[in-house]
Amino acid sequence: MSALPPGAKGRVPACAPLLTRRFPANVWIEARPDADIPTISVPDPGSLLEVMRFLRDDPGTAFDLFLDLAAVDRSMLRAPVGPRDGNRFLLNYLLYSVKRNEHLRVRVTVPESPAVLPTVVPIWPAANWFEREVWDLMGVSFSGHPNLKRLLTHNGFVGHALRKDYEAGQRWLCTEEDLLPTQLAALTDAEEDVFETTTVNFGPSHPATHGTLRVVLRLDGERIVAAEGECGYMHRCFEKMSETHNYQQVIPFTDRLNYCSPMLNGNGYVRAVEDLLGVAVPPRAVAVRVILGEFSRIMDHLVCIGTNLVDLGALTNFWYAYQPREEIYSLIEACSGARLTISYVRIGGLAADVPENFVEWCRSLLPKIRARMADVDGLISKNRIAMKRMRGTGVVSREDAIAWGFTGPCLRASGVPFDVRKDSPYDIYGELDFDVPVMTDGDNYARYLVRMEEMRQSMRMIEQVLAKFPSGPIITDDYRVALPPKEMVYNEMEGLIYHFKLVFEGIKVPAGDIYSYTEGANGELGYSIVSDGSGSPYRIKVRPPCFPLFAAFEKMVPGGMISDAVATLGMLNIIAGELDR
Amino acid sequence: MAAKVVTLKAPELTLAQKLYLPEVFKGMVRTLGHLLRNLIPTFLDEFRALRKGWGDPLTFSKIPTIGYPEGRRGYSGRMRGRHILKEREDETLKCVACYMCQKACPADCIEIEAGEHPVLAYEKYPTKFEIDLLRCVYCGYCVDACPKDAIWMTRDYELSFFDRKSAIVGIPELREKPADTAPGGPGYGYRPYYGESPMKKAGEFEPSGLQLLPALEKRGMVISAPPPPPPPKPPAAAAPPK
Repeated sequence: MSALPPGAKGRVPACAPLLTRRFPANVWIEARPDADIPTISVPDPGSLLEVMRFLRDDPGTAFDLFLDLAAVDRSMLRAPVGPRDGNRFLLNYLLYSVKRNEHLRVRVTVPESPAVLPTVVPIWPAANWFEREVWDLMGVSFSGHPNLKRLLTHNGFVGHALRKDYEAGQRWLCTEEDLLPTQLAALTDAEEDVFETTTVNFGPSHPATHGTLRVVLRLDGERIVAAEGECGYMHRCFEKMSETHNYQQVIPFTDRLNYCSPMLNGNGYVRAVEDLLGVAVPPRAVAVRVILGEFSRIMDHLVCIGTNLVDLGALTNFWYAYQPREEIYSLIEACSGARLTISYVRIGGLAADVPENFVEWCRSLLPKIRARMADVDGLISKNRIAMKRMRGTGVVSREDAIAWGFTGPCLRASGVPFDVRKDSPYDIYGELDFDVPVMTDGDNYARYLVRMEEMRQSMRMIEQVLAKFPSGPIITDDYRVALPPKEMVYNEMEGLIYHFKLVFEGIKVPAGDIYSYTEGANGELGYSIVSDGSGSPYRIKVRPPCFPLFAAFEKMVPGGMISDAVATLGMLNIIAGELDR
Repeated sequence: MAAKVVTLKAPELTLAQKLYLPEVFKGMVRTLGHLLRNLIPTFLDEFRALRKGWGDPLTFSKIPTIGYPEGRRGYSGRMRGRHILKEREDETLKCVACYMCQKACPADCIEIEAGEHPVLAYEKYPTKFEIDLLRCVYCGYCVDACPKDAIWMTRDYELSFFDRKSAIVGIPELREKPADTAPGGPGYGYRPYYGESPMKKAGEFEPSGLQLLPALEKRGMVISAPPPPPPPKPPAAAAPPK
């Protein structure tokens, strides 16, 4: 079974002939539905490294960006996903080729014992924290990993939380001895310790971290010698909780991932489920999702820029940036009923129709955003002090950005024009005319300028969608997916039955798995969903765009000043809710 | 019509920008402009208030800051705040204890116990209906799930408690109506509707299925519990003497 099985239809990777020729026995090509990404399996973990190295280095494959590592415990899975070899754990490596614009999933299975795989950190440094997370939550270890310890939980934690035999809701006390020890002593050279260095905790509750994350810094004066990041302080078990709730009930949880742009998280999630279901969304709902999604992106960028400028000492800009954000929140509240935790999307459409003055309201917001952006732009963009603070600090080269798994504005600021809206257009982004801003400097100033320009492009998109804002229903009329209208529920037996079954049993999503990705405010936001045909997801893995950004932070700051580290952290825009899930 | 890649360049600073001092004044113009635009109308409002009394909404000032708690943000009719349980005309709860909201709740914050209603036509009613407002995530799924239009949300959002116990609200608290209870008035928040609903057309929403009692009465069906047993007859008087 080296090539595609005869008669199989579906999506296969463009490099399939190359892989078949190079690895006749070690790579299986899997035919996938069109909504999913191309997939291969590596049946023998012993040849994993060889295949992975080929995937990264060969010009015909060139999968240079490591996106995600999604592990599945298949012990309770009724429907087959991945190779049927009886192994308990399935690991999906998600890769992207910047050059060829293609996603790829590489499946590897691991038995229950020994649950060990070779590490791919030497091939993609971005895999470091992803492998730690899999070790922490799934208990699959990686031989040769440089720093394999728990990531989201602590040392007092017993068991691996995402295994199916781990009962949800258990609590483990974290005592002082259970805190994860840092490796800073090992990182620092003895010779540099001629002068006294100090170790400083930056976070987990420091105002400049903008969230509960911790960085341990080794300082020589004000210069950083070594740094180590730690996350997990805001881990709220999104993935485990999703497994015990049904598909609709996950939507409120997604608001709490990136809470600066909740609409985008919901969009990404329902899109993944809709792809798995194959349900069509009415055009009006798609238009509203795009409009509010772009408004959310503007809000996210405004928060990032506003708060970061506070850290740099430019407090005034914070007020200018937050003013339009409040007005966008009012618009979102009028649509959804809440300002922050909006839960507005539903699988198959939206929860409620937009208010009658929606189009005029949106149009009236755009000049206000432009005016406040002009204020920030006028005060900062050509400000000598701001430029001195931001130019040349936190520099990430194009190669490093790809190797560390950056996506979104941070990757574009390093010179890679990868934007999911452009490269694999979803919703109606293919019909919209917009620019993808790119800068080659890779420093904090580049990230600032790219975000400013992206806000302008988002407004262009909103104007285009508003110009032909469709009318019609806002949710699908397939009552196996969407709740029937209330009149039907109150007055008709059939409506009540649909309603009852949907509330009590949830949406029956066909068995299978999918990786669906959208452009979040910070980069590629992906949802890997495994369904076993029941009303609850079997496994949901989020690919949070912040995660590789924060993982790389500890490599970006050494050598710089501590105040520049604050600027860098702010411009990476780490959102703890999304980072820790 | 498609996406294009544009490469941005960091701007080169002009001499005036490098000299910095002119830029300081330009920045001052911008920030002072904001200050004056905010201050002057506010002063006008203050003078007006001094003459005419306080309490009127601001007319000149466009300051986005809300002076809470004297000033409050206006919320839409979809605001998801504290829950209420709706009542029928005879002041019984519309809820029939079907457990749908309890099942739909992503936060598992609703607890219902069902009992048999003395009015036969109502069949079931909740003897206990508790919402843990500290667990609640205010997603509105209970409103969406209710098949009887029995639970709504209000625009009451100032929910604070002195202890955890008082955050678990029962039927008496859930019967409390918001301040203004006109149909569609400012008190009510998230209600069941979407698409073209009668509410949107008529301005209010009263689903026909709830007019159960009069409809049954018209058909002469059993609508209420058997009448209470008649009071015991007074002991028969002694037989009259013959």
